[in-house]
This record gives sequence, structure tokens and C-alpha cells, in this order.
Amino acid sequence: MTNTYILNATWAPTGEKCDICLGPGKSSSFEKLGGLRTCDAEIQPAGSMSAPDGARRIDATGKLVMPALFDLHAKVEVPGRSKRESVSRTGQAAAQGGVWGMLVIPTRGFMFDNYATLDSFNDAVTQRSATEMLPAGTISLGAQGAQQAPYNTLSARGVNILTDGDRVPDNLLMLHRAMKYAAELNLTFAIRGDVPALTANTYMHPGSTSYALGLHGTPACAEEIGIETLLRLAEDTGARLHIQTVSTAEGVESIRRAKARGQAVTAEVALHHLLYTHENVGDYDTTFKVTPPLRERSDCEALLAGVKDGTIDCIVTDHTPCTPFDKKQDFISAPQGMTALDTFLPALYTHLVKPGKLSWAELVQACCVAPLSIAEPQDSESDTDASVPLLLFDPEPEYTVTPDHIVCGTMNNPQIGTTLCGSVTLPLQ
Amino acid sequence: MPTIGKDAIDAALDNWAERIAVGRSSQGGELALIGLISHGDILAQRLIQRLEARGIYARYGALDISLYRDDFDMKQSKPALRSSYLPFSTDGLHIILVDDVVQTGRTVRAALNALFEYGRPASVQLHCLTDRGGRELPISPDYSALRIDAPSTAKVTLHLQETDGCDEIIYP
Amino acid sequence: MNPRKDLLTIGSLSTEEINTILDSATAMKDIFTKSVKKVPALKGKSVLTLFYEPSTRTRSSFEVAAHRLSADVTTFTVSTSSVVKGESVHDTIDTLMSMKMDYIIVRHKHSGIPAVIARHCKAAVINAGDGAHAHPSQAFLDAFTIREKYGEVAGRRVVIIGDILHSRVARSTSCILKRLGAEVAYMGPGPLVPLQKHTGIPRFTNWDQIFEWRPDVIYLLRVQNERMDAPFFPAGDYHQAFGVTEERLERIDDLNLSIMHPGPVNRGVEICDAAMDYRNTLINDQVENGIAARMSILYHLTPQTQNND
Repeated sequence: MTNTYILNATWAPTGEKCDICLGPGKSSSFEKLGGLRTCDAEIQPAGSMSAPDGARRIDATGKLVMPALFDLHAKVEVPGRSKRESVSRTGQAAAQGGVWGMLVIPTRGFMFDNYATLDSFNDAVTQRSATEMLPAGTISLGAQGAQQAPYNTLSARGVNILTDGDRVPDNLLMLHRAMKYAAELNLTFAIRGDVPALTANTYMHPGSTSYALGLHGTPACAEEIGIETLLRLAEDTGARLHIQTVSTAEGVESIRRAKARGQAVTAEVALHHLLYTHENVGDYDTTFKVTPPLRERSDCEALLAGVKDGTIDCIVTDHTPCTPFDKKQDFISAPQGMTALDTFLPALYTHLVKPGKLSWAELVQACCVAPLSIAEPQDSESDTDASVPLLLFDPEPEYTVTPDHIVCGTMNNPQIGTTLCGSVTLPLQ
Repeated sequence: MPTIGKDAIDAALDNWAERIAVGRSSQGGELALIGLISHGDILAQRLIQRLEARGIYARYGALDISLYRDDFDMKQSKPALRSSYLPFSTDGLHIILVDDVVQTGRTVRAALNALFEYGRPASVQLHCLTDRGGRELPISPDYSALRIDAPSTAKVTLHLQETDGCDEIIYP
Repeated sequence: MNPRKDLLTIGSLSTEEINTILDSATAMKDIFTKSVKKVPALKGKSVLTLFYEPSTRTRSSFEVAAHRLSADVTTFTVSTSSVVKGESVHDTIDTLMSMKMDYIIVRHKHSGIPAVIARHCKAAVINAGDGAHAHPSQAFLDAFTIREKYGEVAGRRVVIIGDILHSRVARSTSCILKRLGAEVAYMGPGPLVPLQKHTGIPRFTNWDQIFEWRPDVIYLLRVQNERMDAPFFPAGDYHQAFGVTEERLERIDDLNLSIMHPGPVNRGVEICDAAMDYRNTLINDQVENGIAARMSILYHLTPQTQNND
């Protein structure tokens, strides 16, 4: 079997020209990227590699090569479709968006609170998905917030992260005990900052749009209070904590303070919280109904600043398939969530990298290196074969996203109808 | 486009009033001129002035028959309604309905329906400024003031001083 | 101007349309004085009232309006217990379409439901109140009442008092009054009055500020206790702090201000008994004008049911 050579590409993390040789067993390792290793690919400075005659050569002038992305927050279950189809479609969508692996958040159909569900899910992934899918275990049985899930059993099946998905545990006693117990197992608690009592029956950010639409507003302070509570619980119990989908400037500030005082905490922001504001809800556009809600432009800016200074470790998709029927309902009845996997890297590039708001190095850090290190902590005893495939990104093509581009199975992607730049080749062969 | 001007309209109104006056001579009871909004009401007012000059008193009324129509063009938005002005019972009155242009007869049908909700008149006549033919209902004006030499399919436009700034009739 | 199919919010109408509907309401009101209080304008048309929230007043006002236009009225009874889910509305839409209704008058506690129904129905949909979002027919009758009292709305000052946050009446009525050139202010308990930067409407929190502002009309909202999950203010305080008390009524009388209220009135909460008999209380006019305004609305909407079938 001959190797494939990709010549004259640009190595996105540094911007340097490079050549790549693809082939089984080939590998490079990058100190600066947290020891990240490439999978079946060797990278050398441009010109230091010459492709032998007969080898497949690809001229990649003007294109970028980078480690493929890892998404720390995706829901795989497509309502109304079989589990296998959900897995295979989400896997395809991810590859199209430049994502090679993801943390799968528990949902009703994928309730990872027992070994049987985990086993059958892992089987489905092995059979149906080229994309890596790591299930996150639940914190409580059925994600109901009442009783703890069997953490030892979950951990033994490779679960590293626990989350109740959209639901935030409101029983602090349960959570405190869970954190104490699970801290021994090196499990990470991934929870959104929220005080459910303050945000029940609220549907969007309070402001001019919520006033005009007559919808109850979700107070920003609920996130801040929730984050502070989680930080104190984690500090007290020694549990690893990952704050999910931060949406407010106040939330970023809370995490910044915690990191400044040396607390080991990580945090993520969903791409849509960097791009959209509450005004996008417009006239009850249910596509933009998300939890936590879209906030002000100043919050978007604070979140992006948080990504750039490392307060926010990663950018995630918070990919949530909802059927057209569900989203066709009125705003209050419609489920929350949007999909983003299909268009993830082109959207990141078009809206953040291209306008100069985020560098390629920052993107690789926030969408690949950091999420991977949270999903598979280095100190876990498991085999360190966590190596990352490469993807090729061509920034040139400019196209309008049509429903035909979307393979994940539902159409609640806000990029549909907008213009994006860039196309992804993943996997590389 | 041929135009009928102010003088011709004035002359027609004079003849019209004369005709009403003649009709009154053999008639008892009270007379009311009820104009169909819009234009018919203005014509009715002018006729009442001319009748007064002849010493004949007639009451004035105006009817907006929009709510009684059967031929709404559902593809067009509806204009604002005007208030009908009929501050008296029509019981026992001799009524002359005054319309500008009579064509299909549907407006007159609607006007009769509207009118009878205000009482039971002794008699009702239909007078119009001009009769365009093309009737779709068994309705015929008792008096038509002007003859216009234009094909019956042609569109005739009436302008009056009070609403449009000048008196004229335009037709192709 | 294209014909309008639905009336969902005031904001969606042009000022011309608003004026047309108000002008026609005057003509509609004249019908009430005739011996035959009925016109055949909507003869043979079917009107459905679909109320997911109890409301005797608005519903009967619409029904009377439809009857006076000679429409056939059907009442779709939605049992209050099985109401909450949005799915039920969605499923109901199919049923409604099979019934070939021309006009659907809908009230629901969820903001935005009438718009969902309007999108999927050929019938003209009239929003008779959705959540805290909009109540356009109330806005028309309020604007009509003020116009009738003062000749025109432009230049008048109206203060809306009460629970603005949960009030669709405040939203729609302030919107129509501003469009017609009136000045509007809000007053109420702090947490129930949204910020001016969100509403574009000056915000007061006590009566002294109101009297200083010199309004023409005091518009009282009903305190909607049933719509709150946790009380926003101590209930015992309301009358003393924000209601029209006997003393305030004297001041209102001195300044010759009008009082309006969308009803039903909580006596002793928003308003004292004496204010109900005050010479400038327009509450009964509002009820009568409500029928005229709703007739005008029905008359001006154009269902798409005729075109294709």
C-alpha cells in the first residue's frame, strides 16, 4: 500500500507550511498542543519530505491541515428515529463539520445510567459510526435528580464525565454526596450554571424582545449563582468540575475568579452563544430557542474574550436535534436546542476566524486540544493511544447552506439559508 | 378621452331637479332624497338645494351600502366604511334613491335591503346621473339624467367638486 | 394594499389599516341605533371562537359582533383541564381546517399560539389574547373609545397602571396609542414595570409622578393574580400604593381625567367603588365600543377560504 502525500499545506496551529505523509502507523506528536499525537499521519516542515514516484500526491497549496475537532457537548438522539440511525447520521454530520469525536450527552433514548444502555450504544457506534462517540454517564438515575447513578459501573465502562444533560440537579444534598463519592473515581461533573427555581417557566433572555413577545425572561443572575454554587461544591468535595454552556458575562467572570484563585475547573461555551443574541428570536423563531437563552451582544463579546484568555476552555456545538414538527409549535411548547455539527468548522471559520476574532491556534486549542483533555484526562490509567486524525480545510468555497447540506436528520440548524465559507475533508485518505 | 364638464353636469342637475319637482306636484306626503355613498350623497345634496329654490322641501339621507354588498372582491382590501346618515324613520316617506352610475344593479339591490331596515317607505324611486346598461338584476332607474355615448363595457369615472376638486365625467 | 388575512398584533398593521378599522368602527356603532341591529355583510360566513382560557367578556363581545354581521358562530369548547400542551393546539388546527371555518378567534395562555394557527390555516385568525403578548381587539376598542371621547388620539397622554409585565393589554394598547400619536407611560409596582430601555415607554412607580406628568387618561389594568407563580408584590399593598383610592379620585376629578379599565374590575384593588360611578369613567363605553371595534375587525379581514375553494 502506498502512502499519500499532502504537500504545501498550512499547519493551522502555527501557520507554517508543511508536508504530510498519511499511512498506517505514521504519527507526530506536539508538545505545544498538550502532547497531542496525530493518528496515521506524519507532519514535517515543507520541503523536508519528498514523495516517491508512484505515491499519491495531493497539492494542498492554500489549504489548511489541522487536528480534527472534538465536541464536548452533543446530543445524538434524533427524535423519532432509531438509535442506530441516530448514531450513523450524527456521525456523518460530525465528519462533515470537521468533528472526529464527541462526548454524547445523555438524553431520554440514550440514558447512560446503566451498563446495558452503554454497551448497546457502544456497539451501535462501533457498527454504524466512523466518528468517535464517548458517552457521558448520568449524575442521577434517569437524570431525574433524585438518586445517584452507579458511578463505579459507569466508570468501569470508560465513562469519564457525568452529566444530567439539560437538567440541572436542584437537589444540592444529592449532588454534594454524588460529588464526594465520584471524586474518588476521578469522574468529572459537567453541569450548567443554573438555579431551576429562578428559571422555571422562562423562555428567553429578558429584554426588549421578551417584552415585545410577552415571554418571561430568564434572569442572568441564575447562571452566576448556579456557577458559584457548583464551584463551592466542587471545592468542598474535591470533584472535578466542568461548567457547561456558559451564556453570560457574569458567568465568565465567576469562572475567571475561580481559575485565578487556583481552582481546577473547566468551562465551555456553545458556538451559538458566541454568534447570536436574544434579538435573533425575532418573531418567535423557535430555531433560536435554546437553554440557556441567547443573551446580549455584550455577553457574546465577554464569552469570546473568555475563550481567548483561557477562562472558557472549549467551544462546543450543544448539538440538539429537534424534529420539524416539534419546532413548528409555538415558542413556549417547542423544545429548546439547535443543531450545529453539520456546519461546525465552516461556521467557526466564517464567523470567528475569517473576521479575525479568533486565531487558528485558539480554535485548535478550544475545539480540539482542550475538549479532548477534558473528555479523556491524561492521568486516567487508560492506554494513552488517544491520537487525533487530521483534517484538510479549504477556506475558499463559499456557498449557501441548503437543507441538502444537512445530514444529521433534523433541520433546526440556524446556518440553513446563510452563506458559509470553507469545506472540510475528513477523514483524509 | 371625452369629458363632460361642469356646465353639462349643472344643466343635467337642473333638469333632474325639475323632473323631481314635476313628480312632486301630483304626490302627497313627505319626500326624502337618499344618496348612495359615495357621490350619490353629494348629488342628493345638490338636488335638495335646487328643489329648495323651487320651494320644495326634501329630507336628506345618505347610505353606505358596503355591508349589504354581495360582490366583494375578496382579493382587495376593503375601504373604510362611512356612516350612513338617516336621522329619521322612513315609514310613509316617498323616497328617491340617488346614485351616480347605475350598471349591474347590485348596488341598488343592496341599497334597497339597507333602506328597508330603517322603516317602511310609501314609495321608492331610483334616480341616477347616468345609466350604463349591463344590468345583472331586474332593476331599472326611474330617471337617468345624462346619456353617455360610450360602449357599455367602458369605464366611466365621475369626479365631484366636494370630493375630487372638480366636476367632470371622464370616459374612453 | 393587499388584503389582510389575520389580526395577530397591532405592530403588524400599517397606520393606514389602523385608521381604516377605527373609521369603520364608527359606522358599525351606528348600526346599534337602528331598529334592525344587524347587517348582512358576513352572511353565510362561519366564525369559530376557540378559547383556551376562560373569558366571558371578550368571547361574548366577539360573538355579538359576529352575529350583528350575520355570520354563523360556533363555539369550540376546550376543556380547561386538558389544555396546557401546545401539541393539542397543533392537532386542533387540522380539525379546524376540516371544518372549513372562515374566521377563527383564538385565545391561549401561550404567547404566539395564534400566529402558529394563522400560519397553517386558510381562515382569518384573530388573536383574542395570547399570554402576555398581544390583545389587538382590545387595543382597537381602547383607541376608539379615546378617539370618541377626545375627537382624536394624537396628542393625548395616557398612563397605563398595573401589572405591565404580564399584560398583553398594556402591550397592544400602548402600541396602538403611540402609533396614533398619543404619549403613553407605564406605572405600577417596580418588578411589574419593564425598563424603559426595553419598552421605549416612560416608567413611573408612584402616583405623584403621574399627576406631575399630567395625563388625560388613567388606564387601569386588572391585577392578574392567577398568572403569577410567586407573588411579585404583597397583595395587601396594591390598593393603597397603586389603586384609584377615594383621595386620588378627587384629584382625578379636579384634573378632569378619564378612567379606563379593560375589565373585569377588581373593586377595592385597582379601583374604589366611587370611581366606578365617576362621571369620566369610560369603562361601559369600552364594552359597547368593543363590539363595534370587533365588527370592524371581522369586516376588514379577508380569509383565504374563498379564493381557492
